[in-house]
Amino acid sequence: MRNIRFMALGVSAVMLLAGCSAGGGGGDSDEIVVGAVYSITGSQASIDEPAYNGFKLAAKEINEAGGINGKQIRVAFSDAASDTTTLTNVVSELIENDGAVALGGTNDSTFALAAGPIAQAAGIPFVASGATLPTLPDQVGDYMFMACYGDDLQAQAIANYSMEELDAKTAWALVDQAYDFTTALNTFFQERFIAVGGEIVLEDSYKSGDTDYSAQIARLQALPTQPDVLFVSAIPNEAGIITQQIREAGLTQPIVSGDGYDTPLVAEVAGDNSKDVYFSTHVSLESEDAVVQNFVKAYTEEYGTGPENAFAALGYDTMNLIADALKRAADDSDPAAVKDALASTQDLVAVTGTISYPEGSRKPSKAVSIMRIVDEVTTFVKVIEP
Amino acid sequence: MKSIITRKNVVLLGGLVLLVILLGVADATLNNYYLRILQLIGIYIVLTASLNLTNGFTGDFSLGHAAFMAIGGYTSALLTMPLAARALQLAELPVWFQEFVSPFPLATVFGGILAAIIALPVGLVVLRLRGHYLAVATLGLLIIVKSIASNWEPVTRGARGLSGLNAETNLWWAFGWAVITIFVVWRMVHSPFGRSMIAVRDDSVAAASRGVHVFRIRLVAFIMSAFFGGVGGALLAHQLTAITPPTFSFDLTFLIVIMLVIGGSGSVTGSVIGAIIMTILPVILRDLERRFDLPGVSQIIIAAALIAFMIFRRQGLMGHRELHPSTWFMKKPATPASVDAPQQ
Repeated sequence: MRNIRFMALGVSAVMLLAGCSAGGGGGDSDEIVVGAVYSITGSQASIDEPAYNGFKLAAKEINEAGGINGKQIRVAFSDAASDTTTLTNVVSELIENDGAVALGGTNDSTFALAAGPIAQAAGIPFVASGATLPTLPDQVGDYMFMACYGDDLQAQAIANYSMEELDAKTAWALVDQAYDFTTALNTFFQERFIAVGGEIVLEDSYKSGDTDYSAQIARLQALPTQPDVLFVSAIPNEAGIITQQIREAGLTQPIVSGDGYDTPLVAEVAGDNSKDVYFSTHVSLESEDAVVQNFVKAYTEEYGTGPENAFAALGYDTMNLIADALKRAADDSDPAAVKDALASTQDLVAVTGTISYPEGSRKPSKAVSIMRIVDEVTTFVKVIEP
Repeated sequence: MKSIITRKNVVLLGGLVLLVILLGVADATLNNYYLRILQLIGIYIVLTASLNLTNGFTGDFSLGHAAFMAIGGYTSALLTMPLAARALQLAELPVWFQEFVSPFPLATVFGGILAAIIALPVGLVVLRLRGHYLAVATLGLLIIVKSIASNWEPVTRGARGLSGLNAETNLWWAFGWAVITIFVVWRMVHSPFGRSMIAVRDDSVAAASRGVHVFRIRLVAFIMSAFFGGVGGALLAHQLTAITPPTFSFDLTFLIVIMLVIGGSGSVTGSVIGAIIMTILPVILRDLERRFDLPGVSQIIIAAALIAFMIFRRQGLMGHRELHPSTWFMKKPATPASVDAPQQ
């Protein structure tokens, strides 16, 4: 039995050593290491995997076209497994062991807030693909950038569209209190809607996970005059159920929302009731724009299936955004120079719209696509330029 | 009077000095990634060794450790959050709360104390149960704590969680607390109190009939375990710098239980070994996953290994035994064997 004890000690000691020698290997001088921070297993997988595929596709295209300043890009990746502890370990590993000169990834603001500070402390630029919290770069620091627009921009686009195209003067707002994304979207929508002369007749709330919205709908129906549009600030999980219950109650006003509605769940859950829903998103993959069509074609050729959602395009743009900065950087092996180059990005043509960082901001002003769902079919209606 | 300069103490002191030197070398030579993994080892040692007090030595199978971690994590995070982040995230709290920042060590202790305070009424209720019933009741505690964290909007920010903490947890705090935890647990277990704990575990009726205050023993063990659970939660929160309710998941509770079971519940050194193995193993497997491009396989391997482990060595690597370095230089063991005869 004594030998088992020593074996136990031995096993843990060997593992300690093995753990320390694992990984390793810095970058050669003829390649540039870019880290990809995505969770391809766990709860984030449905949006992170397309994004990671897009990211890899962009790197492959850049390498086939001769690389950057004669150097090839190597995408360093380790699965963050939708878990904060693993995510922070992965970010640290990509920086320290792989020698990444820049990082891109995460489609979730909460994960970005955990991953960002590590890159910030190490002085490595981090480009968030799909984390739309507008205060994200300010909360983390000057090495944090966003490839997507902030919720303020999309909320303003929906408010403008409601006002101008849907002739709305009054709106009802229903907000999920559980997420930064939904509460921020609601705040920005109301600010803008009121600023352009609209009126919020009633604000109501719920918590992600609720399944019965009859109380909120009853309060809406009890209003003396019915609002012109129904603004719903929801994440994908509830988007379908809410639409279903609003329409079942006999309310026919247009429903407007943000990119939380960019999910097949609306059509699947609400079925025939998915009528007259308008939402903003990052890009319409049906757009006839040549950049979008080339991306869809390349993605389909590479993976045998079309881009699953707009996050694939965001992942693709994230890599291209980093590549563009690497090209312009004074020294493509110096993270600080890459950061400066990123900050001065102007008019970069990307799938999700032309990206420019306004002076002093690390959040792009970009075009917002408005989509419409009629009878389970989503169609593209309009691009709203910033 | 017994001299404190015994062979045992000299070995112990030597071990501590060696640990400090090793940590110093690690701190100076390893990069931040390896330091993170080492910090995690320290944190998990705190958590596993403290869970051992209830699950291993007193025989109260608790699944609520993540609940106490959440209490410690949130408490310390609220206390140390920098003013700028506070103004942004906790604007609804009173003004006096917007104007102070507590130092990290104090916040850690405070997180532990609050977890212990909450463990008192909880323990009074749930420790009326034993066995499976207790396991389910403590799991219920985790659900309650998580739903409070998800819904107490002004304080915990609900599902959005608290972020922007300073990365205060370093090698010294993680291993400092690990040493304190091991020391306290070791002294508790190797005292008359610890004998009572083991007696309660092995046969509570017999223990009660010999005059052991069974309920009091179990309650004290539960509260002590909760204190270090809270401390561990505070350390983890300040390593991640952001906490949300899902951080303190069932997975986390089960991970610590697994560390304990692998090391051997009922052995202090076993829980240390279990914590080390179960921190390093996923890291090594993730590395293999990367090399062979097989995402998700590590979870299957770990699960399969656990099943095999439970079939072939269910008492854990150490069982009820201890590794005691000082005994390596002596003829006979310095610590008495467990009350019950070892199973194998």
